[in-house]
Amino acid sequence: MRIIWTIAKREFKSNFISPLAYVVICLSLLLLGAVFFFGLPRLGGAFFQAGRATLVQMFTLMPPLLALVVVPVVTMRLVAEEKRSGTLELLITLPVRDYEVILGKFFGAWGLVMVLVLTTLLFPLMMFVFPWKLGALDWGPLGSGYLGLVLFTTAAVSIGLFISALTDSQVVAFFVTWFVLVLFTILGGLVEQNSIAALRDLAYISFDARLTPFSRGIISLRDAVFFVSISLLCLMGSFWALERRKWA
Amino acid sequence: MIEASSLTKRYGAFRALDKVSFEVHRGEVVGFLGPNGAGKSTTMRILTCFISASGGTARVHGHDVFDEPLEVRKKIGYLPQRASLYGEMSVWEYLTFVSDMRGLDHGVFKKRMRDIVEVCGIAQVLGKDIRTLSHGYRQRVGLGQALVHNPPILILDEPTSDLDPNEKAEVIRYIKEIGKERTILLSTHNLAEVEAACPRAIIVSKGRVVADGSLEDIRTKSGRVRYVVTVDEQRTFEGGAKAVKKSAPTAQEVQDALSALPGVSHFKELPTDDRAHSFEFGGSPGSDVRHDIFQLCVQKGWYMLELRREARSLEDVFKALTKGDERADRGRKIVAEEEEPEDEAEDEEAEGDDDDEVEGDEAEGDDDDEVEGDEAEGDDDEGDDKDEDADEASNAGAKKGPSGKKG
Repeated sequence: MRIIWTIAKREFKSNFISPLAYVVICLSLLLLGAVFFFGLPRLGGAFFQAGRATLVQMFTLMPPLLALVVVPVVTMRLVAEEKRSGTLELLITLPVRDYEVILGKFFGAWGLVMVLVLTTLLFPLMMFVFPWKLGALDWGPLGSGYLGLVLFTTAAVSIGLFISALTDSQVVAFFVTWFVLVLFTILGGLVEQNSIAALRDLAYISFDARLTPFSRGIISLRDAVFFVSISLLCLMGSFWALERRKWA
Repeated sequence: MIEASSLTKRYGAFRALDKVSFEVHRGEVVGFLGPNGAGKSTTMRILTCFISASGGTARVHGHDVFDEPLEVRKKIGYLPQRASLYGEMSVWEYLTFVSDMRGLDHGVFKKRMRDIVEVCGIAQVLGKDIRTLSHGYRQRVGLGQALVHNPPILILDEPTSDLDPNEKAEVIRYIKEIGKERTILLSTHNLAEVEAACPRAIIVSKGRVVADGSLEDIRTKSGRVRYVVTVDEQRTFEGGAKAVKKSAPTAQEVQDALSALPGVSHFKELPTDDRAHSFEFGGSPGSDVRHDIFQLCVQKGWYMLELRREARSLEDVFKALTKGDERADRGRKIVAEEEEPEDEAEDEEAEGDDDDEVEGDEAEGDDDDEVEGDEAEGDDDEGDDKDEDADEASNAGAKKGPSGKKG
């Protein structure tokens, strides 16, 4: 645990040494705030147009925002950059196990994305607790919505880490992660109208479809297991990708 | 101590290491030499558990590198070639990170840091970001991280590259100093550094050990000694064998007499003034004909003006061993036919890419060296000095490697 923590801490801190983390967090919050309060017609309008004390729109907006911008940027360099620059050799030849490296890097990146996710708690707190009291917020769906976001973040960061471990190019890692996450996020919308039943079934592996119950206050074990399974698979894949160097 | 036994590493069809075996005992500082692509870094990466060997075994400090990688890594300090460090961290932060990863107590770490800062000369850059440092300072920090836990074994892959001459001398001096208590495997291209710091050397070429022993042994076994004899061409003295006519010697006489000595060859007359004949010639390994030369001059009544015996420099030996090995490759198969017949053609094709960090894709390099066996035999007939030296080197130099095999 000590080693995982040390690697995660270094990884997390390294984001704040460069302007990367600040830029990503600030831009994401600005973008989220703008869309949430001023609205986009295709996303169901602004918060005030809904006429209800609900944050469903925020939970609808957050996954695409994380998938499009935040997660690919944060995860692209995790292993790819270490391989390219050669720092991986020094890291691996310290007394560490490969899985500790993977978990340390995962928690470092996951921690950064969670900072962004948790920062959005300011929205409900400021609107419904202090300084404004816009009404009685139903805290149940808020809690389940955040649980869904945490699970989604875990899966998305794992996917990004896995892809980063497969290549030594940050750019390749960014675009492949971006493509995979966007595909999984919008897959439900793409196939729901399709006439072929088999394609419609693909909606079951869509992040969008799996997150909807959480944003409505339903904690579905099936959906939770889905996200946890993807996370575990990708972490195991990352471990395999890192071990691959031994036998290349 | 370090024990490598028949280490083999393949990258696809390319054989980066071919049954490399050696031992480094406690308290030894061993130079690990070889041209680019010889397999030095690959060997070190296997010993540090970064990559796995395709065959063979290795033990470091009694622990198997395949079964107990964590124990091995705890015991070694490793400085990879072109040590890459986290540029965004300060030197102090980086060394603290390494210390935390190694589970050192903060008190112990601070105590160790006093030594490391002094030895590596990094006091003035402790607070600076690594990315702002020169290559030399980065190398020093890399050396510092290898020493943080006071390891009994150090594996240093070209630790002095990117250092200026003063820094190099300082690092070599330090390696000598700490080598009294530690096992050190030092890879470098700089043969002068090896001569300065390492009583013993292992020379690898094309993935095989071609020489292993003390520097003196390697020089002697792997190459001829060189003699220089100068005699007065105008005067003789009375004495010695009375039957011999005492007259001023001609150059031909001197050469004929010297060439009758056992094991000498490759005569070359050196330019001198009009009053002396001077010859340079080679002697066979392990023999010393100075007594015979002296006796000969006395018998003939020649005034000997100069008699010099020189072992070959390590650089000459290195060139002969590695070039000879490369040349020998052209006519012979690296892998025994009964072992892996399907690999042979591929092995030959894979020759030519000499980058030290051989990746699988890179293994399919240029095929310039690819020569059929018959052609290689033709090469053998070109009996210049270098070729003969190379033959001798590859025959006699290898203590454990298969370089002595003929094609």
